[in-house]
Amino acid sequence: MTHVLVPVAILEGGTVSSGLVNLLSTMDVTVLGYHVLPEQTPPDQARAQFEDRANEALDDLTEEFRSAGGEAYHRLVFTQNRQQSIDRIADETSARAYAITGTTGPVDNVLVSLAGDTDATQIVEFVVELIGDRPIEVTLFIADGDVASDDSLATATEQLSAAGIETTTRVAEGNTFDALIDAVAGHDAVVMGERAPSLSSLLFGEEADRVAAASVGPVLVVRSSAAAADADDSDDNDT
Amino acid sequence: MASEELGQNIEGERPDIEQTVETDDATVTKTAELERTIGLSGGLAIGIGTMIGAGIFVFPGLAAGEAGPAAALSFAIGGVVALLVALPTSELATAMPKSGGGYYFISRGLGTLPGAVVGLSLWFGLVFATAFYLVGFGYYAVDALGVAGIAIGEWLVIPVAVAVGAGFTLLNVTGTENAAKLQNGVVALLLSILIFFLGFGLLDAIGIVGEPSAPETFAPRGTLPIFTVAALVFTSYLGFAQVATVAGEMKDPGRTLPMAMVGSVVIVTVLYVVTILVATSAFGAERLAEEGETAMVAVGRDLLGPAGAFAIVFGGLLATMSSANASILSTSRAIYAVSKDAILPGWASRINLKYGTPHVALGMAGGPILLLTATGQVEILAEVASFLHLIMYALMCVALIALRRDEPEWYDPEFRVPGYPAVPILGAVASFALILLMNRLSQIIGLAIMLGTAGWYFYYARDVTLRGAL
Repeated sequence: MTHVLVPVAILEGGTVSSGLVNLLSTMDVTVLGYHVLPEQTPPDQARAQFEDRANEALDDLTEEFRSAGGEAYHRLVFTQNRQQSIDRIADETSARAYAITGTTGPVDNVLVSLAGDTDATQIVEFVVELIGDRPIEVTLFIADGDVASDDSLATATEQLSAAGIETTTRVAEGNTFDALIDAVAGHDAVVMGERAPSLSSLLFGEEADRVAAASVGPVLVVRSSAAAADADDSDDNDT
Repeated sequence: MASEELGQNIEGERPDIEQTVETDDATVTKTAELERTIGLSGGLAIGIGTMIGAGIFVFPGLAAGEAGPAAALSFAIGGVVALLVALPTSELATAMPKSGGGYYFISRGLGTLPGAVVGLSLWFGLVFATAFYLVGFGYYAVDALGVAGIAIGEWLVIPVAVAVGAGFTLLNVTGTENAAKLQNGVVALLLSILIFFLGFGLLDAIGIVGEPSAPETFAPRGTLPIFTVAALVFTSYLGFAQVATVAGEMKDPGRTLPMAMVGSVVIVTVLYVVTILVATSAFGAERLAEEGETAMVAVGRDLLGPAGAFAIVFGGLLATMSSANASILSTSRAIYAVSKDAILPGWASRINLKYGTPHVALGMAGGPILLLTATGQVEILAEVASFLHLIMYALMCVALIALRRDEPEWYDPEFRVPGYPAVPILGAVASFALILLMNRLSQIIGLAIMLGTAGWYFYYARDVTLRGAL
């Protein structure tokens, strides 16, 4: 089964809403409990003090995922760089996507963004597997003027309806990011692609994190093989 | 090794030793992972950032006063000794990429007594070093006011240094922002200022720009001062071992640790030697000596006018600050390393729940630092810091030889020191030799601290066994 990574700030009261647990019931899940440390604190020192408490909380969370459906595992990381740990564990578990947990009730509809330079085929494949035969509706979001959008939209709609998923389409007008945030309203969860690091992600933070901050619900980020390879080359950003 | 075999301290605490698997990206224990997040540039920034403050911005005046233009040679000697130790340290660090640095290598290679003496002495050594950097900062702060047109006497140096030391300690307890990124930027900025300044200075020295300056005797007081000054200025080379204290957090340690340690020593040695050459040729050793701790400001003014003075004052503030801050962080790691092994009480490594910072260890660093800063004794502070570090350096070389002669199964370094056994033997001998060249008072203080730490070991942790306990 496809694997999804669910990072949780385990010692800061991070939890996973029941809506997300149920949404991911078609997937295998690794819960990544992380604890970010300031540079004054050696990770090992924090481990000695907090490890037991963190593992107890992780056991409970993992059990929730397991009783919802798929296989569930957990890892615990003490780190000074959250994104680096998420990328590493995602690679090691061959996770197709990672989740930014938010709060949501039962998920009835999902906004799937194909905007920008992302691999639409991978995202759609993931969505088909995620939804399975559940009555969850999909809104496809594409950017106006994306050269590839016509083609990929047609293929995407075809794939989704072949899987029996009800699909509507929404085309962005004006600023793509703002339009995406507008479109999030009325949806219970968002699926989007991982973007290669860019100037704007350097300045404003990862797009997925910004979407998650602007919406209340969870965001599933489908990892692109290209971005994963890029991350390997450019991970010399020390903290 | 089962924890019963490791013994316990007087309070019944045992060393906390976890079975771990080290990968390039993380340390994996049975139930948790510790991410390695510091890359090569971060390691170099720690090494260079710690070292550069003292060598360029504090010592030139003092050193030139004692050895004349030959002070450049003193710095070169210091660099060679540092390199002789950095190579064996690299091998040990790649074999044991754990936080704790020299203490860890010596306690595992030679046993608990030498380990305890070095571990606790390292705490005090770093405290002396930090106090020294802070006093240096105080001089630059007063000079900065001078450049800004507010002339205040040197009486302000110590109050400023103490206040800044207290501020840093507090910031490190409460601050959760990562200052490490800032540190990288500070080091990059410093290097650019220095390279521009030294480039111009070199052109001036060989007479292409500016006015010709009079040549003077290279070693006006003979050869002995060259060596005693080398012992004094060795404080400018302590930073590479700070890289080893974060060995557990370095990515791809087998490659980055040796490169960061050896690289930072080579880079700062070149900068130091060129700085002294430029400073003495611009000014002459005697005038440098008159200018004291902030002689470089005068050199900057001489070469580039007020802008030069400003650049050097600014660089000096940045450099002494980054040295002090990096050393406070290393001190708290040194305390953690010995406390984890039950040589200090376990509460010393408690983490504050609110900020996630090791407040006890930071306090145990900050308190004595403020006391020592208040003495304002630049040379004594520097020499005692060097003394305590040099003991560790010498013992690291000895530990390397001991481990190599009878290699335990677990000993599998990715980097092996070239020129074994000559390099570690020379490293050990040179470290001891520098100690012998120091002031009598510095030697007495250093020895007293070592005896005190040995006494603590016999009182508190005599039954703890650490040799080979991984």
